Amino acid sequence: MRKVTIMHAASFALILGLTGCSAPGGGSIYVPMGGGDQSRAPEPPRTSGQERSEPQVWRKSEQPEVSEPAPAPEQPTRSPSYRESGDELPAAAVALIRDADQRLQQGDSAVAIARLERAQRVAPRSAEVYFKLAEAYVAGNNLGAAEQFTLKGLSLAGNDSRMQRSGWLLLADIRRARGNVAGASQAEDRARSL
Amino acid sequence: MSKSTKSRKKSPKRQPKNRRSGLWRLLFRFALLGLVVLAGWMVYLDAVVTSRFEGRRFEVPSRVYARPLELYDGASVSASGLARELELAGYRAGDGVKLGTYRRNGGRFVISARGFVFPDGEEPRRRISLVVSGDKVRSFSVVVGPTSPIVRLEPAQIGGIYPAHREDRVLVQLEEVPELLPSTLMAVEDREFYSHFGLAPLSIARAMLANIKAGRVVQGGSTLTQQLVKNFFLTREQTLLRKGNEALMSILLELHYEKDDILETYLNEVYLGQAGVRSIHGFGLASQFYFGERLKDLAPHQMALLVGMVKGPSYYNPRRHPKRAIARRNLVLDEMAEAGLLTEQEAKTAKAKPLGVSGKPSFTDNRYPAYIDLVRRHLARDYQEEDLQSEGLRIFTTLDPAVQHASEVAVSKTLPKLPGSEALEAALVVTAKDTGEVLALVGGKDPSFAGFNRAVDAKRPMGSLIKPFVYLAALEQAERYTLITPVKDQAFTLEFDDGKLWQPKNFDKQERGEVPLHRALSKSYNLPAVRVGLDVGIPQVQEKLRAFGITSPISDYPSMLLGSVNLAPVDVAQLYQGLATSGFNTPLRTIREVTDADNEPLSRYNLKVDQVADPAAVHLVQYAMQETMQEGTGRSAYYTLPDQLTLAGKTGTTDDGRDAWFAGFSGDLLAVAWVGRDDNGPTALTGASGALPIWSTMMAQIPQHGFSPVMPDGVQYHWVDTEANALTGEGCQNARLIPFVAGSEPDTHTGCNGDLGGQIRSWFEGLFR
Repeated sequence: MRKVTIMHAASFALILGLTGCSAPGGGSIYVPMGGGDQSRAPEPPRTSGQERSEPQVWRKSEQPEVSEPAPAPEQPTRSPSYRESGDELPAAAVALIRDADQRLQQGDSAVAIARLERAQRVAPRSAEVYFKLAEAYVAGNNLGAAEQFTLKGLSLAGNDSRMQRSGWLLLADIRRARGNVAGASQAEDRARSL
Repeated sequence: MSKSTKSRKKSPKRQPKNRRSGLWRLLFRFALLGLVVLAGWMVYLDAVVTSRFEGRRFEVPSRVYARPLELYDGASVSASGLARELELAGYRAGDGVKLGTYRRNGGRFVISARGFVFPDGEEPRRRISLVVSGDKVRSFSVVVGPTSPIVRLEPAQIGGIYPAHREDRVLVQLEEVPELLPSTLMAVEDREFYSHFGLAPLSIARAMLANIKAGRVVQGGSTLTQQLVKNFFLTREQTLLRKGNEALMSILLELHYEKDDILETYLNEVYLGQAGVRSIHGFGLASQFYFGERLKDLAPHQMALLVGMVKGPSYYNPRRHPKRAIARRNLVLDEMAEAGLLTEQEAKTAKAKPLGVSGKPSFTDNRYPAYIDLVRRHLARDYQEEDLQSEGLRIFTTLDPAVQHASEVAVSKTLPKLPGSEALEAALVVTAKDTGEVLALVGGKDPSFAGFNRAVDAKRPMGSLIKPFVYLAALEQAERYTLITPVKDQAFTLEFDDGKLWQPKNFDKQERGEVPLHRALSKSYNLPAVRVGLDVGIPQVQEKLRAFGITSPISDYPSMLLGSVNLAPVDVAQLYQGLATSGFNTPLRTIREVTDADNEPLSRYNLKVDQVADPAAVHLVQYAMQETMQEGTGRSAYYTLPDQLTLAGKTGTTDDGRDAWFAGFSGDLLAVAWVGRDDNGPTALTGASGALPIWSTMMAQIPQHGFSPVMPDGVQYHWVDTEANALTGEGCQNARLIPFVAGSEPDTHTGCNGDLGGQIRSWFEGLFR
């Protein structure tokens, strides 16, 4: 029994480790366009009637990476989906952020923000890009906007504790600069607890 | 002015009287009077000439641009979408080497990008190569030009805001005009331009002689200055008085201004064609209009054509009369050779070339009237209409031509299939989920009709679209409500103070006793929604709606819990933006930036986010909205859409199907569709049968990411038995993985512990979380 448990545990650890490597990044939830010309008529809405059998629920993060174009899945893949972390930055966004950093050093926060907004459109589900926007707004002395962008970034940091920590510390700095001492130490506590 | 002082000097000499002087005096007085009138007239003309020249010389319309397409590894775009986008931005299929052309070989593209001056800097010319496969850009690289992992194409011009008399032009400065163009112009139209004083008597004499010989007008003797004056100040009628005025004004113009000033104005003023109701003025715009290229990029044979067209833009219209145009162009090329501007050989080579005119103008008027309408409303908050019509502003919008195309197709394809379609109207709004940028807007079933803009102006009851906000208000009280809280699905009667009764009903008139909250939302049952809404309080629901962006008054009556709140589709899009992004409001935008004609930024409309709700509670609502698409009222979407595309949404139907709504989102897009009748009459439709098909048809045409929200802080997923309202194990009966605000999960366990694997897995999940 114990042996079996250990075997199970080891295999699950392996699976989790693998998914940990493959899950992040937008690739897994990207869907090429499809079905535009399907001629099946939409089913009329059913407002009553028997429940359909519960579909098997699975975790998106445990799905193997599908190669594109996605092969037809054997089982229905429909199920409420969530993820434990946001997207990683693609190279294009990294380049734009680097450019924005340079602009910030030159004191041109308006152009830096324009660059970062381009990066945000490229990577709208990546925490880092929002933290960078927050930094740019700090440089432009717009602390209210900076705080909001930090919160938005934190909402996408998920279980990435490095990202979480830098977000909470950034938030603490901004709150202190705004005179919100209690909020700042609260944020610091969050950072410390990670 | 000088003439009037002269005449005053003359008058004292004529003082002595004599007897014969009666007649002379009369004549003299007439002459004097004539001189005074002439002097006055000259003063007047002088004022006209100078004021028009000194002040704003031209009214330059504002240009409205679509968002530029960003190309990089991983960018979402289909091959056909990219090709369409390129055509719209004025690119031509070709070798991909010549500026403004692209070569396509299946999914492989080579694009010779022209470069563009954006508000935040110039995008240089580049030749880029990429492969589109699986609706994604891959193997992106810059072949020629400064290297970069991301490149913006020049944006398509999608409209203009024109002066009342519909003149269109692109101003050019003399320094930026290639030397050959003015030289050619002078060689053909006015050889002595730099030496005459506004008139060229010799040329006039020569022209008269030629005309008398021919017996008709074959040659004009007017100088460029005269032509400018004629265009600028006078009507086209050929009278002697007008000729006189033209001559006087030409001299005055030459007195006041440098030759180069006059030449530059001429280059910008000259009429060179017609695009629908808009008249094409100046070489700058003509170059774009006929060749899709900037003036400085034109080849000699193209310049020759434009100069040749000055004589008669419609007679020599190269699109309509190519033979005439080519003969005229070759004549000009001959003149160029004769004047030494080209060698004989160069002229010969140029004459052998085709006209090189682009297939159609790279922009059309009002292709997207509903969208431009919304842009104008946003502009009206910060700009005067006359500035928009005359200052040559550049307006950078967020319109995504691919999404707009998909939206128009979705409406025009789907609407006719619906029952009672003749009387139906529709509206569709699509935004980028995380930026609030409005990507597409359809204001009615005929997208090219610039009439009533339903997307913005049709304020209709939102119906069940309100329910996510009712439940959000409840779920924010985690100690009282979770997704599995049983809620009563039983009829009841409300009695108001005035004795009136209200008896809400489910759409299907059924009652189910008790249902878990998540199912009440995903199946859109009315009775539980009203009960929960009354329990948390109408003011709390109102407050949610206001926080998420409703600015109009919201009813206090309980009927508001079933959506008796009037909203336009764009208002709904604004409202749902916060739901789609875990509680962050993002103001909808159609404009990124406005610059003046010299690219100085006037306004930036930056991305803003504002947290308005607890992300944990929003996450729970998002779960139920995903369930809506998979098991609830929105599931017919998957008849059109691929299973892998996770979506969240909500249907809405008002009494007798007067309004069919659907609002929903993927990982990238948020879209709101409305179908109904302009007379607010009943239809046989529901949100799912009327609005959802439009929504899904649009979504199916856009490659995108599925909706998979990041689990926020303070949320935990648990396997629960929703019937028993207790924790359970994976694989047990009725087991469902459901998110809870931490601590609000049930504390009881049902009998089933699940299989061993499930237990270990949950243990490991706890460890790794």
